[in-house]
Amino acid sequence: MSDFVYFFTFQDASIAFVVIGITLLGIGSAYVGTYSFLDKKALLGDAISHAVLPGICLGFMLAGEKNPLYIVTGAFLSGALATFLTSWLKSKTQLSDDAIIASILSIFFGFGVVLLTVIQKSGNPEMAGLNQFIFGNAIAILEEDLYIYGGLAVLIIITLTVFRKEFSMLVFNADFGKSIGYPMGTIRLIFNVLMILAVVIGIQAIGVVLMAALLITPGAAARFWTDRLGKLLLIAGAFSAVSGVIGTYISFVIPQMPTGPWVVVCLSMFALISFLFAPKKGVLARYIARRHYLKKTHQDHLLKLIYHGIESGKQNFPIEEIYQSFPYRKRETKHTIDELIKTDLLTINQGFIDFTSKGKSEAKRIVRLHRLWELYLNEYMNIAPDHVHDSAEKLEHILTPELEALLENRLNYPKLDPHQETIPRDNDEL
Amino acid sequence: MIINVDSPILEIHDLTVSYDQSPVLWNVDLSLPSGKLIGILGPNGAGKSTLIKAIMGLIPTSGGYVKLFDRELNDVRSRISYVPQRESVDWNFPASVLDVVMMGTYGKLGLFKRPGKKEKKIAMDCLEKVGMQSFVDRQISELSGGQQQRVFIARALAQEADLYLMDEPFAGVDMATETAIFQLLKEMTAAGKTVIVVHHDIHSAMNYFDWIIMLNLHLVASGPKKDVVTEELLRKTYGGKLNLLTKVTDIIRQKDFNPLKN
Repeated sequence: MSDFVYFFTFQDASIAFVVIGITLLGIGSAYVGTYSFLDKKALLGDAISHAVLPGICLGFMLAGEKNPLYIVTGAFLSGALATFLTSWLKSKTQLSDDAIIASILSIFFGFGVVLLTVIQKSGNPEMAGLNQFIFGNAIAILEEDLYIYGGLAVLIIITLTVFRKEFSMLVFNADFGKSIGYPMGTIRLIFNVLMILAVVIGIQAIGVVLMAALLITPGAAARFWTDRLGKLLLIAGAFSAVSGVIGTYISFVIPQMPTGPWVVVCLSMFALISFLFAPKKGVLARYIARRHYLKKTHQDHLLKLIYHGIESGKQNFPIEEIYQSFPYRKRETKHTIDELIKTDLLTINQGFIDFTSKGKSEAKRIVRLHRLWELYLNEYMNIAPDHVHDSAEKLEHILTPELEALLENRLNYPKLDPHQETIPRDNDEL
Repeated sequence: MIINVDSPILEIHDLTVSYDQSPVLWNVDLSLPSGKLIGILGPNGAGKSTLIKAIMGLIPTSGGYVKLFDRELNDVRSRISYVPQRESVDWNFPASVLDVVMMGTYGKLGLFKRPGKKEKKIAMDCLEKVGMQSFVDRQISELSGGQQQRVFIARALAQEADLYLMDEPFAGVDMATETAIFQLLKEMTAAGKTVIVVHHDIHSAMNYFDWIIMLNLHLVASGPKKDVVTEELLRKTYGGKLNLLTKVTDIIRQKDFNPLKN
């Protein structure tokens, strides 16, 4: 607990620095990553992040120490080379995107691991820190390095904000942008540079292997919550920043614990929560909507049952008889009847069920939709009368008043359905 | 039957276009009058969309050139509006109807600048012209095909151009929308604009267009409707495969390079 207080009250200036740094880089990479996620280029981020490893190693070899300038430059150049090779191979060969990206990723990463091994064998005392680039360690980042990473993150955020309309057009409709004379090639280039930069600055905190998660997961998770680009970027940035800080905290509390995996675990939690509980798009919301729909269909069927009974001359409806009409569903049926009484569609009197006037017109509406649809299928789609019932049984619950008006109009307010049954209108006697 | 005009709004000279190895347009050479509603007709894979994209400089050409308003494309971009195929974009992109229509103002707005009140006003006016004003804030993935098409046309209107190039604006729209769009295009040409439309349905084309371009890998015809709509030209456009031309294409594809590229 004292660790928690110590960490989050920022008594230690270096912790405050790290937290600010990781927040900035989290927001920056979530920002870039959201665009590349929308552009369906999620894998490119993964390729770039693996491809920076040889650059880091070469930078280290040239400098002979962990000089951030050498390492950032090396990482950037090898990321840029990988990006360039990806698009070059695409234009010059018949290879598919996934094959190209998979090869680039593994070739660069493999080469990077070779270099890393060479450095380790060389016995350079400085090399201890290099392993951190694989899984990341935010706490170990030096203050002067943070200035570089933080500065680059701010640069990414500002560029993306200033060019927001250009980048949106790049993703949504690049051809249109080109047609109005925007330099879409240059804008794509700038975007790729930002993407590489985002990877480069995240490498030391998150690590080569997991950096792609920090790029893509925030945007993918945030997409469940909103349909607006502005909000999407904000939510993605927030997920990413919070995960970054939590990952850093765990690295702080448990020495030697890498930051990257914990950031990813945290991001995955956000993604899972979004997937399950987001309104409208989440699994739970869709499940509830479906339950609601099924309940509605049962109500409709129950109203129809009574309607059909009255139509064939039946006088009264004991509740037990209705239960028997829906075998094995007594509890559900009882519940539905209760609901229908509560919403003033049915009344119950000494175990006998009857329509209210509201219920009667609702039942007429459902039967009307059912029979109109049957007639439409029969007349306009030439489907035989004995084949139209099943489709109508489903559509009677979802046809809107507009469609009803359209059907009435198209069919010229018909009296009878294909089975010669009356299509009930609201004013008709039942 | 290729009829040329004096002082054309669009002049295409010996345009050849290839995708990868295979040529998809052979030596298209035509000129078009201004103020007309012009239809580009042809079967699937005839190169209709390719022609429009080549005019807009969206794909590299293997030979020939295009002149618009007697100038180079880059000098007159602000006077030209391009409407891509509806299917060419991802409608799940998180944007509202207004966001998309506002893109029409970006050309005049230029880089860096953010759209403001003036741009919003233009976009609203254009949405009203296509009867979509009540959909301003709707997420674009919730629109029907016809509504998406209208949004694209509103975006084109927002460009306030003189020449419109539309790729299949009638694809996937219902009859009512088709009539409404056609009325709008007619009003535009009446106001002196030139509208070039890629169209697949030959029957409605007979009613819609003043001038018709028939295409099937090469230019079959270009001229006023009454001159070019003949049984012979229609058969040349739609009937049968161009055996020889497709065979040449096959030979070229088997080569390691494209001999048509200069």
